[in-house]
Amino acid sequence: MQFCLKIFLYINWRNHLIVTNPILTSDGQLLSVKLKKAESHKRRTAFLLVLPLFLFIVVTYLLPIGSLMVKSIDNRELFSFLVNTNESIHEWDGTGLPDETVYTAFYKDLTLAVANKKQGKIATRLNYEQSGYSSLIKKTSRKLKNFTKGEYKAQFIKSDKRWGKTEYLLALQKATVAFHGRKYLTTFDLKINSDGDIVQIPEKKRINVILWLRTLLVAVGVTFSCFLLAYPIAHMLATTKPKYANILMICVLLPFWTSLLVRTSSWMVLLQKQGVLNDILVFFGIVADENRLVMMYNMTGTFITMTQILLPFMVLPLYSVMKTISPSLMRAATSMGSTPLYAFRRIYFPLTYSGISAGSILVFVLAAGYYITPALVGGAKGVLISNRIAYHMQSSLDWSLATAMGTVLLATVLVAYWVYNRIVGIDNMRIG
Amino acid sequence: MSKLSKGLTLAALVSSAPLALAAEVNVVSWGGSYTESQMKGYGNPYQEKSGVTVNWIDYSGGLGSIRSQVEAGAITWDIMDVYAKDTIVGCDEGLFVEFDFDNDFPAGSDGSKASDDFFTEMPSKCAVGNILYSWNYGFNTNTFPSSNEPKTIQDFFDKDKFSGTRGIYTGAMSNLEIALVADGVPAADVYSYMDENGPDRAFAKLSELCADDGCWFWSGGAQPPEALVSGEVSMSTAWNGRLFNAMVTEKSPIKMVWDGQVLDYEYFVLVNGGPNQAEAMKALQYFTGSEGLAGSAKYISYAPFRKSSLELIQDPWFEGPDGKLDIMPHMPTAPANTKNYILMNGEWWADNETDINDQWEAWKAGL
Repeated sequence: MQFCLKIFLYINWRNHLIVTNPILTSDGQLLSVKLKKAESHKRRTAFLLVLPLFLFIVVTYLLPIGSLMVKSIDNRELFSFLVNTNESIHEWDGTGLPDETVYTAFYKDLTLAVANKKQGKIATRLNYEQSGYSSLIKKTSRKLKNFTKGEYKAQFIKSDKRWGKTEYLLALQKATVAFHGRKYLTTFDLKINSDGDIVQIPEKKRINVILWLRTLLVAVGVTFSCFLLAYPIAHMLATTKPKYANILMICVLLPFWTSLLVRTSSWMVLLQKQGVLNDILVFFGIVADENRLVMMYNMTGTFITMTQILLPFMVLPLYSVMKTISPSLMRAATSMGSTPLYAFRRIYFPLTYSGISAGSILVFVLAAGYYITPALVGGAKGVLISNRIAYHMQSSLDWSLATAMGTVLLATVLVAYWVYNRIVGIDNMRIG
Repeated sequence: MSKLSKGLTLAALVSSAPLALAAEVNVVSWGGSYTESQMKGYGNPYQEKSGVTVNWIDYSGGLGSIRSQVEAGAITWDIMDVYAKDTIVGCDEGLFVEFDFDNDFPAGSDGSKASDDFFTEMPSKCAVGNILYSWNYGFNTNTFPSSNEPKTIQDFFDKDKFSGTRGIYTGAMSNLEIALVADGVPAADVYSYMDENGPDRAFAKLSELCADDGCWFWSGGAQPPEALVSGEVSMSTAWNGRLFNAMVTEKSPIKMVWDGQVLDYEYFVLVNGGPNQAEAMKALQYFTGSEGLAGSAKYISYAPFRKSSLELIQDPWFEGPDGKLDIMPHMPTAPANTKNYILMNGEWWADNETDINDQWEAWKAGL
């Protein structure tokens, strides 16, 4: 009893203290301040522990992506070679031909560029705007030393008749700006015409929109087929006896550890016209020898191969979620009179949503940027936008366009992520 | 000196020794039987002669990798084997070293100076000629026995007479040219025809060929012979040396056709600022010398770029599997093989590639 009273008094006293006097520590400082200090120390330690990762992400991820994005609108290199032209060509209204001042200014720029051996760079850059500029600049550069003072317009046109064509001069006008976003228009098969309107490029050259749509279609399709295949596998993994589950797990992981290239090539061996699958079908007389199935070098090949390669990314999140679902839930449902199918639909399936969504977003994002597999098995009809990006990186060397496409791809993935977050909520994601 | 420090000094000496010796040159080429011919023809002989290690690296064309290496300041390649159009673009971009041709390259074995000894003028100041090769088509002799075999470039496009999937190159290069010739444009006029009328006629001809999964597209030189042997395609374009290698060395049931083929030049370039630029220049001089170029013809049916090399080639020259044989009739320059051929125009492709490629990819996507 006495003890109780003591406690009561103590609590009273403490409450009194809280209301009136701040608590002090033994060295006479405010407890709240001291606590904050101790916590900020902890926070600092935590931050220092994360710092290497943070710096790593900044240096290897954010900075390169940022510089790539800048590259997609950056035209300063070409601009710096055409400083004189820039001053006069923008006064031209884009009809007929510009006057003498423009040609004089361009003569100055080109002479300087030839002296510094930069005419080649001008040639390749201008060639992205207008085909033919590559040889035109070089041809003109060679003839430049024979030019006499004055009357440059006539001399340019005499050196090559293309200098008298409006489209070439228009391309030059367009190219003499330090930054422009036209590559983003090109990404969607659009361009600015001579009236300043945004129009579609000629139909026979429209390729990018087709590839964007195809990429989305393949990414969604592969995600869905991965889901269909992975769900039963994951369920089996989660519910069979551990010793079988282990073997199954190895079966799922083994291809995961095998090189992507090896797996893709094995699919080529299996699926090609004279491949294993067709041989079997012909052997059993299911298809005639002269009518072997075309399963490779088209969308079918891309689809099958990508589904198999991305399957583990769906199985593992599903498995980790299913593992946590207690089997007693399904038993309880059936014991209360539900059919197994109904119990699955109402109890089990909703509980796996977080796994499905995690697997889906993983597979979708990976599939949207897939490169090697479509390049090898895609043929003409199975290539995706990433192959186009690779072409502009490796072959045409139009890196501005490649980076513009890359940025759009990144934005697409971010939009998918945003939609996912709105519908599912990122907190509900369970990966493993 | 204690035992330990003696040991350490010794270890330091031993470990530093190989570094001083490691003179090497990294050469990038197209792989397969072609790289092998280069390796045996002049790579290994040079290695023995000079003690410089020659490393061969495979690639499938394009300047993207080397440009990234240059931009990142981490260049690992010294010498590259490239198309004419890429010598032009790469030279313009400053990726390659410009040559002072007659000073940089030795005179021919017959004494003629380098610029006279090479067959043609170089497409750019950075290029030194290597071989002449051609884009022929081959067919599987089991599918088309000699009683019914394709003989002309028109036959390649004639699907009624000769059925089966066709293999063609993954890019527009070479395909537009053969399509136009098969459609009746004279071989000498294909580029001027496209300058005036655009490439639509070629695309129309190719559409006939490739509609309904009629075409398979190859990107690496080793693919067409494989696809021909496996029966994946009944006919395919390919580089003549690869077809020859499959026919003669591997004894595959393949035959090739010398009509309407695209004759093209192939070049070496020296990477500007490569890791072993000085050594690489010396190696390049040896590779492209009269003997070097003649050497590679022992192992593949590509014609050396130097006239003097042709004079070095004796009758049984090619190192076949069953002993030596005469290589000259198999060269893309042999008189019997050059009755109707298209000469590739690298400058035209450097000019028009961007434009044509958009249409080409759109065409492929719409097949």
